[in-house]
Amino acid sequence: MTALAPSPALTSRPARSPHLLRWLIRLHRPALLAWIAFVLVVGGLLLWVGGPLTDASAEAWKQYNACGADGCSYDVKAIGRYKDWYNYTTIAVIAAPFLVTAWSGAALVSRELESGTAQLAWTQAVSPARWLAAKLAVPAVLIAVGSGLLAGLHHWAWSTGQGRIDTVKGWHDLGTYAANGTATAAMALAGLVSGVFWGLYKREPYSALFGSLMSTGLLWSLVAIATPHLWPSVSKVSSLTHSVPAGSGIVVDQGLVTSTGKHLSGHLCGSTTYGHCKTVYAKLDAVGYYNDYHPQSHYWPLQLTSTAIILAVTAALTVASFSLLKRRTGSAPARKAAAV
Amino acid sequence: MTGTAAIEAAALGKRFGRRGGWALRDCAFRLPAGRVCAVVGPNGAGKSTLLALAAGLLAPSEGEITVLGGRPGAARERVSYVAQDKPLYPQLTVAETLRMGADLNTDRWDASVAERVVADGDLNPKSNIRALSGGQRTRVALALALAKRPELLLLDEPMADLDPLARHQMMGLLMAQAAESGTTIVMSSHVLAELEDSCDHLLLVDGGQVRIAGEIDELLAAHRRVSAPADTVLDAHTVVESRTTGRQLTALIRPLAPLAADWQTGTPTLEELVLSYLRNPQAPTTKTPETVA
Repeated sequence: MTALAPSPALTSRPARSPHLLRWLIRLHRPALLAWIAFVLVVGGLLLWVGGPLTDASAEAWKQYNACGADGCSYDVKAIGRYKDWYNYTTIAVIAAPFLVTAWSGAALVSRELESGTAQLAWTQAVSPARWLAAKLAVPAVLIAVGSGLLAGLHHWAWSTGQGRIDTVKGWHDLGTYAANGTATAAMALAGLVSGVFWGLYKREPYSALFGSLMSTGLLWSLVAIATPHLWPSVSKVSSLTHSVPAGSGIVVDQGLVTSTGKHLSGHLCGSTTYGHCKTVYAKLDAVGYYNDYHPQSHYWPLQLTSTAIILAVTAALTVASFSLLKRRTGSAPARKAAAV
Repeated sequence: MTGTAAIEAAALGKRFGRRGGWALRDCAFRLPAGRVCAVVGPNGAGKSTLLALAAGLLAPSEGEITVLGGRPGAARERVSYVAQDKPLYPQLTVAETLRMGADLNTDRWDASVAERVVADGDLNPKSNIRALSGGQRTRVALALALAKRPELLLLDEPMADLDPLARHQMMGLLMAQAAESGTTIVMSSHVLAELEDSCDHLLLVDGGQVRIAGEIDELLAAHRRVSAPADTVLDAHTVVESRTTGRQLTALIRPLAPLAADWQTGTPTLEELVLSYLRNPQAPTTKTPETVA
């Protein structure tokens, strides 16, 4: 029995805790480098779009607006280049959550469970719960910083064009709205956790990849559909002499107001200066337009509410992932066994 | 009960999926510390499930398993486990794999042990795990397992993909470990001959249950192979297997009373013993006293 007792040197000092960070970085080095490269490239492009490209485009618009009726020359290419690269970078920023989801679903956890290397880690001095915590926490920090940085740069690149470029995207443009705010960074975290959840559930990369991409897509769509309803909208009534209802932003509902004050959704025809529309409106007893919408001042309330919802889903998926793992491996301290 | 038990199971059962079959059911046994134990049984008997439960990789569906006096997960740093297919990170090199062992373990880790095991196999530390042969992978997996300086070493089919020479070397390595540190070693195999010479303790797992548990010497001594006339009545003894050919009855029994002088008797070999139990699922379970949980 003496041979079994650990030597005093082993027990006299507290056990060194495992170096999980070093191990994770070695294990996922390609993914880490790819993420850093992605953030640097897209971030660099956004600086280019917000700086030189915006300046050139603004200059071209200035030339264009100074043109007389007899025509003049202005830099069409600069306008096109700004528009193209603005769109490409917007797509890249919105794609980040899906890239994260794909990696997390296919590689982070599922592949390890399939090949048995997760079990290899669990039979070192690392408990399954600790393993999962490390696998979530380290990427979560990098993803939050990276996609937060990209969303911030996108917001900056978009804002530098405001009032200088005539065709600049409004704050409520679908892609711009998504890429400009915190919700995209939260979505990337949700993607990470959904990849992990599906990985633990399916224990196989292909179904985990499919499942996590589907659930991230679903969450994204649901939040996009719900966004106009996440904050009380503003209602504005305007005259039928305009061709469209007044008030620009994210529209919740618009239509006609009748003489009794009733709201008829839709039925928009155009200005009453057109005879046809005048007849249509007269038939409906319409006296004005109404527009329930979110003005730009609602931007942050909407962004932050959807961010909070996405983070709540992320937290729920995290809890579900840990309890799934716990049920599989029995890593919870059993009260009975502890009493032995 | 004497000394600490390395593994102790009571009414242990594991079922995969809610409607799946039972991989293990109603297992009860006790493995005293310091033994080199062979876990034998046919394919699909539940050997791997038993080892994974002991390693804390699976939660039991029912019953309890205690490892080194606590729940399996609590003993993680004192237990090493090598799975059947020797999973290792294919993208890492041998040296990086050993560094992973150093990173993921506490200060029980002995890097010199790992390096020695790897160096003895003429493995280049810079080779990728992906490029190794089955035997080389086994060596790296064992290096990880041994450098933890475990009190309990669980090996699932450790010799399956080794050539005879490598098998011999590996067994020597394990036996040296057992002798030097008193490590309890539990090895599974469906080939009994692989383990017979090195193990002093046996667990026969069959159909999800532990059929035999005990010191091999005691188990052998407790059984007799008998040849007697065909009309002999064996009711006084526990009969594991009996066969009548012509006027001759041959049987494997656990004698409970003195045997008749005119019978031809002998001690069975371990293989005869195991095969007799496997051929006769109705034969009673045999456990030597110290292995009763």
